[in-house]
Amino acid sequence: MLQAFWQKLVDWLKSAAGLTVLVTIVLTVVTTLDRGPYILVNTVVIGGMLALISVGLALIFGVLNIPMFAHGEYFMIGGLAAYAVFKPLEGLVKAGPGSLFALVAPLIAILAALVAGALAGAVTEVLAIRPLRKRARQNWVMNSFLLTVGVSVVLINAHQMILGVEFKGVDRFYSGVPLDFMGAFVSRDRVFAVILSFILIVAFWLFMGRTKTGRAIRAVSQDETGAMMVGIPLDSITMLTMAIGCALAAVAGGCLLFLYPTYPTAGMEPLYMAWFVVILVGLGNVIGALVGGFMVGLARVLTIEYIGTGWEYVVPTCLIILVLLIKPSGIFGTEVRGVLDQ
Amino acid sequence: MDLAAKDSSMNAFQWILDKLCLTPLGLIGLIILAVGPLLPGMDQEYLIRWITLAIFIAASAIAFDLTVGYINIVNFGFNAIVGLGGYTSAILAARVGLSPWVGMFIGAFTAAVTGFLVGLLTLRHRGIFAALVTWFIGLALMGVCQKWVPLTRGMLGLRAPQLFQTSSNVPYYYMILIMMVIIFIICRWLTRSKMGLAFQAIGQNMEAARTSGINPVWYRVANFTISCALAGWLGWFYAHYIGILTPDFMHTSKTVEVLAVAYIGGRSSLWGGPFIAIPFLVSMELIRSGFSNLPGIHLVIYGLVLILVMIYYPGGVAALYYKYLAKPKNSILRFLVGYREAKEVLRRRS
Repeated sequence: MLQAFWQKLVDWLKSAAGLTVLVTIVLTVVTTLDRGPYILVNTVVIGGMLALISVGLALIFGVLNIPMFAHGEYFMIGGLAAYAVFKPLEGLVKAGPGSLFALVAPLIAILAALVAGALAGAVTEVLAIRPLRKRARQNWVMNSFLLTVGVSVVLINAHQMILGVEFKGVDRFYSGVPLDFMGAFVSRDRVFAVILSFILIVAFWLFMGRTKTGRAIRAVSQDETGAMMVGIPLDSITMLTMAIGCALAAVAGGCLLFLYPTYPTAGMEPLYMAWFVVILVGLGNVIGALVGGFMVGLARVLTIEYIGTGWEYVVPTCLIILVLLIKPSGIFGTEVRGVLDQ
Repeated sequence: MDLAAKDSSMNAFQWILDKLCLTPLGLIGLIILAVGPLLPGMDQEYLIRWITLAIFIAASAIAFDLTVGYINIVNFGFNAIVGLGGYTSAILAARVGLSPWVGMFIGAFTAAVTGFLVGLLTLRHRGIFAALVTWFIGLALMGVCQKWVPLTRGMLGLRAPQLFQTSSNVPYYYMILIMMVIIFIICRWLTRSKMGLAFQAIGQNMEAARTSGINPVWYRVANFTISCALAGWLGWFYAHYIGILTPDFMHTSKTVEVLAVAYIGGRSSLWGGPFIAIPFLVSMELIRSGFSNLPGIHLVIYGLVLILVMIYYPGGVAALYYKYLAKPKNSILRFLVGYREAKEVLRRRS
């Protein structure tokens, strides 16, 4: 029993997925020993958030076959919603740190981000993507991609038009002394972000695996016609998928408000990073995106640490070129059906 | 349709127009553009500058349409390639002192080589891969231009010598107009040739094309390389017209501008982009300056138009033209629509 498990583990470690995961872990440990524990902390914070965003992206690509270009804008919407809710409460929170209200207020803000993201995603699906789906399915991947490019342009500039270009951020969600982690001081907000991202990842996992709706979503991703034949309502499933994917990005936007204040093009960088993840692990692979988020998070942290800011686009691009040359289906392989040939 | 084919029913005028790939209607449009700056009331520098930049976007849209309309690959790093051509020429001019007129060829060549390598890397895979990877390569190129400060001066902007020793925009206007016509003719000749037939076959159904003995990768890479070479050439013009290059020019949002013009004009028509570029971009510019209290409103309209076109009229303006002006009964109209165009339209109809 133990031997069989061991054999399986060794086999997995020899595969591309296992090797990269191993390299990531070793690299994290080595660089943490080299430069200090904040490398590990940053990787986990950025990686957790990136995992949330890219899981949404991979889900939408895997189930609906839409390569979302506007995903970053839902990150921005989440940040905006959290800002709109938390900013009025900030004075009250500062007046009584340690009270129950100060503990709950950030959670309300994140909840607002989640709801806003889900609503925005559902509205986008109904207003933009469903009409396209009803009209024509040929060349769907490219057309829906360009459609979301249009959505992205509209959302960015509507933000700029209505709310202006200035940064909208909060100083902190939770005040109080930073926590001590192996000699590095970690602010409470970062801990909060990490815990929240892990809770959401587990909740998402359970939802997809254990609930009837989650199974319906997976069924649609495997075979749309078959899913329709067994009585799965396609329209509501597509809407739900969009809502979940966008809500995950929006939660990340709300959580990171203390780190990245929101402004019209705030979503661009998370979008690039999430796409790096999704291509690296294989298009539409949801589980791979979870792991890949931490890998790209590490790559980003290391690039900034050892090479300097501004090179964080160059290094992942080189990684992607390598992956395309060696294993075009991505590190974890892709399970999306073959409608994408074109 | 073979390029050398000469129908006996063609007269000399039709034959020349056919070689230039123009319809009489297109010729009239070009004549209007050519005499435009000479008309009274049109000689304001800002207006000519706007139209020059609009024609620049129009020419970009033609080169962009060669890949998007014919082999169905969206080159999302298009403007990075344009910028690469511009930077190459500008760096050579600024650091080595090379004349821009030589830099033109080197800029286009660099862009072509980059396009060739990117094409080899991505075009073996599905179309969406090519779109995403060209996007990232574009971002990486922009990052390099931002951060390689000793060579490119980064965000400070690289000065490029002007092409003409004048402060007027008119010489540049004619320059880009001629460049646009040349690019149009190159792309039209390509798509009319046997190669163009292969492009269309690949764009419509790759498996069927492969079965009939077409090597999709070769044709896709060839198409992509040509498009990138043209992009590099346009970048050269931009660098030496504006006089200063910043990495912002290589950003994806600039590619989206070209993409919107190409799509609203009509995919795989080549003339749709140039046809709508000037009215569309100039009216956008008017909206932008008219509603200065609402910054970004012109881009909201831009995005909305793109969404509506994508959903309700994927063929753009060109498809409207083929649908309603297809087979004019009036003999003057039939003359204006042009010989080969009219034949083509009839073929599409049947």
